Amino acid sequence: MPQEADKPLLFLRAGLEELPCDGPFVVIVRSRDDLNSWLHDSSPALQWIQVEELLADEDAWGVAAQGPGDIPLDVVLSSPGTEFAGLYRLVDVLSARDVRVSMPATRGFLKALRLAASLGIPVRLLPGQPSAEGVGELAAALAFYLHDPMVEAPIEFLHSALAWMRGAQTSSLWTILEEDPAIFQHYDASGRHVVPRTANPYPEQIPRRDFVMRHVANLVNEGAECALCPWQQLCQGYFKWPEPAYSCRGVKDLFSRLKVAADEIGQELAAYEESTPRLTTSSHREQPHL
Amino acid sequence: MSNRIFSVILLPTSDCNVACDYCFERKEPHRLSLALLPLLTRRLLDHLEHEGIEECEIYWQGGEAMIMGPAWFENAGQLMDRAAAAKGRRFTHYLQTNLISYSEAWNEVIRTMFQGSLGTSMDYPNRHRKLFKGGTEAYTRLWTRKLNEALAADIEVGVIAVLHQGSLEEGPERFYSYFTEELGLDNFQVNTPFPGGPASEVEGAFQLDTKELANFLSDLFDIWIERGYDSGVSLGPFDALIDHFTGRPARLPCIWKENCSNQFISVDAKGTVAQCDCWVTSYPESFFGNIFREPDLTRMLRTSPARRDFVERPKRLVEDEDCLSCRYLSICHGGCPVRTYSALGTMMAKDPYCEVYKAVFSRAETHGRTISRRRFMGSPMASVLPNK
Repeated sequence: MPQEADKPLLFLRAGLEELPCDGPFVVIVRSRDDLNSWLHDSSPALQWIQVEELLADEDAWGVAAQGPGDIPLDVVLSSPGTEFAGLYRLVDVLSARDVRVSMPATRGFLKALRLAASLGIPVRLLPGQPSAEGVGELAAALAFYLHDPMVEAPIEFLHSALAWMRGAQTSSLWTILEEDPAIFQHYDASGRHVVPRTANPYPEQIPRRDFVMRHVANLVNEGAECALCPWQQLCQGYFKWPEPAYSCRGVKDLFSRLKVAADEIGQELAAYEESTPRLTTSSHREQPHL
Repeated sequence: MSNRIFSVILLPTSDCNVACDYCFERKEPHRLSLALLPLLTRRLLDHLEHEGIEECEIYWQGGEAMIMGPAWFENAGQLMDRAAAAKGRRFTHYLQTNLISYSEAWNEVIRTMFQGSLGTSMDYPNRHRKLFKGGTEAYTRLWTRKLNEALAADIEVGVIAVLHQGSLEEGPERFYSYFTEELGLDNFQVNTPFPGGPASEVEGAFQLDTKELANFLSDLFDIWIERGYDSGVSLGPFDALIDHFTGRPARLPCIWKENCSNQFISVDAKGTVAQCDCWVTSYPESFFGNIFREPDLTRMLRTSPARRDFVERPKRLVEDEDCLSCRYLSICHGGCPVRTYSALGTMMAKDPYCEVYKAVFSRAETHGRTISRRRFMGSPMASVLPNK
C-alpha cells in the first residue's frame, strides 16, 4: 500500500477522541458501526481501513461492497486457522474496492492463505518470531507461493523477499511488513505510540528513524547470529524482535529455499534469452506446415 | 458505483410448448403480465441502487420464453429500459429459447432488445427433446429448420447441449462434428445434466458414469483445441477455462463462481424469487420470497433463511470437504449447489461432478500452458501440441 516517504504513517484506533496527527493515517476498526462510518470518511489523509475482528460478522460487509470504493481495506485475521472460511464474505467487497488480508503465521494460517489466493486477494503474512511448527507451515506457504498456479496476487513478505533476491531494490522486512517506526507508527487504544509487536510505549529517547539501525547494532554487539547472516540486509534483525535470543535457524532455511528459487528463475531467464534467436528462426521455419 | 454485475434469470412463464422428458421444471400456465412488470422492475432497480450496482443482466428464460410473443417482449424491454435509465442504471437483456416458436416476426425485437443474438439448446443425439406430437425426430427437424432461419436472418445463435448417455455412446468426435459441421455452428456449450425437479425419476435412469463423462469431456476438449480453437469456434466452458489458464480475464460459468448467491437470482412469473431457474421451478422449499408481496428485495435476500444456505455453502465446503486442498479451488469453489442438492438431497457437499471437473480443469491447464508457450515464443500451434 502507498506511503509518502517523508511523513510517517500512523495506525490509529477508531474512537480516539483526538487524532494525534494531521498527516496520513490508517484507522483500525473493530465494529460494524465504525467500519460503516469510516467508509464514508472523505479525508484524503485516510490511506486505508484496517478491519479487525469482523470477519465472523456476515452483516458487516454490505456497505463495504457498495461503491464508491476509493478506500482500501486491510482485513486482519487474528486466528487464520479457524477464521479462514469467513474470507468468502469479502467476495462482493473485492469488486467494489481494493482489499488485502493480513494474518499472523500461526497454526493453520496456510488454510487462510490458500483461500485468499483462490479469491485473488493479496496477502501480508506477519511471521513475527515463528515457532518450529510455524516455520514448517511457512515453508509450505513458500512452496505454495512459488509453484501453485492459483497464486496470482502477491503474498508478502515472500513476494518482496523474492524480488530482493532477484536484485530488486527492496526495503527491509521491517518496512515490507509495515513495522519500521521511522515510517509506520502504531498507536494503542489510548493513543500512545507503541513499540512494534509489543504493548510497550515507544521510548522517546530513541529517535524513530534510528530504531531498526540501533536494534541491528545491538544484536551485532551482543554476538547474535545476524553478523554473519546472508539475509541480514533484508531482515535487519526482524526475526530477533522482540526476543533477541530467538533462533533463526528455521527462518534462514526458508530464505535459502527462496534464494534457490530466485537463482532458478535467473538461470531460466538467461537460458531463454540465449535461445530466443534460435526459437524465432525455428518458428518461422515451421510456419508453412500449418 | 461497484463493478459488480447483478443478474436475474427472469421466467415470464413456466409454460412450455414442447415435452422434453428430462425437464426439471414444474410447468404452469401462469404468465407475467405487463401490468406487473413495472413493479418487478422497480423492486430490481431499488435493489441495484441499494447495493450500488449499475448494471443488471436479465436472462429471459422459461418455460419457453417465446410463448410470450415478440410484441410482449418489445413492450417489456422498453418499459424496463426506460425505468432503468431514469435511475442511472442499465439492463442488458438475453434470450434463451427452444426456438420452436421462432419466426421472422421475432427478428426486430431480437435485434433491438437482445443485441441480435439468442441462446437455444439441442442435444446430440436428440433422445429426450420431444414435441407434444411427433417425438424427437420431428423436434430435431423443426428445431434445425428454425435454427437455419434464425442464422439466415443474421441472428447470432449460441447452443447449449446437455450431455446424456447417448452422447457418451456416440463419442466426442461425432458430437463435435454434429454441432460444427452438420449445424455449422461456431458457438456452443456443453452442460452436465442434473436429476432435478419432477423429472428426477426419469433422469435418475440417465445418471452418467463420472469416469466416462470425464473421458468424453477431456477428449472433446482435445478435439476443440485441435480443430476449433484457432478457427474461431467457441465451445463453453472450455473457452473460458483456456482464458483462465492463459492469464486472460475469464467469465467462468455460474457453477464455478466463488459464490453464486452473490451474483444472481431467479424470478418466475408469479414473482417467486429463488437462487436460479433450477430452484425456482423445482424446489419450493428453497424459495427466498415473493418480489410482488415483499417491498424490499434487498431485505428479502439478506433475511431469507433459504438463501442463507447458499451464502454459507462455500464456507462450509472449505471447512468440511477437501476443496481447500484442491489445486483448482480458485475456479470451482465446490461446484453447483443445485447439482449437489438434486443428487444428494443437501447442498452442503461438493458437487458430485467433482472428479469430472478436475479432469476438465487438468486438460485446460495442459492446453493453456501450451497456448501460453506458443504465444510467448510465437510458434505455431501444431508444433507445440502435446502428444496424445
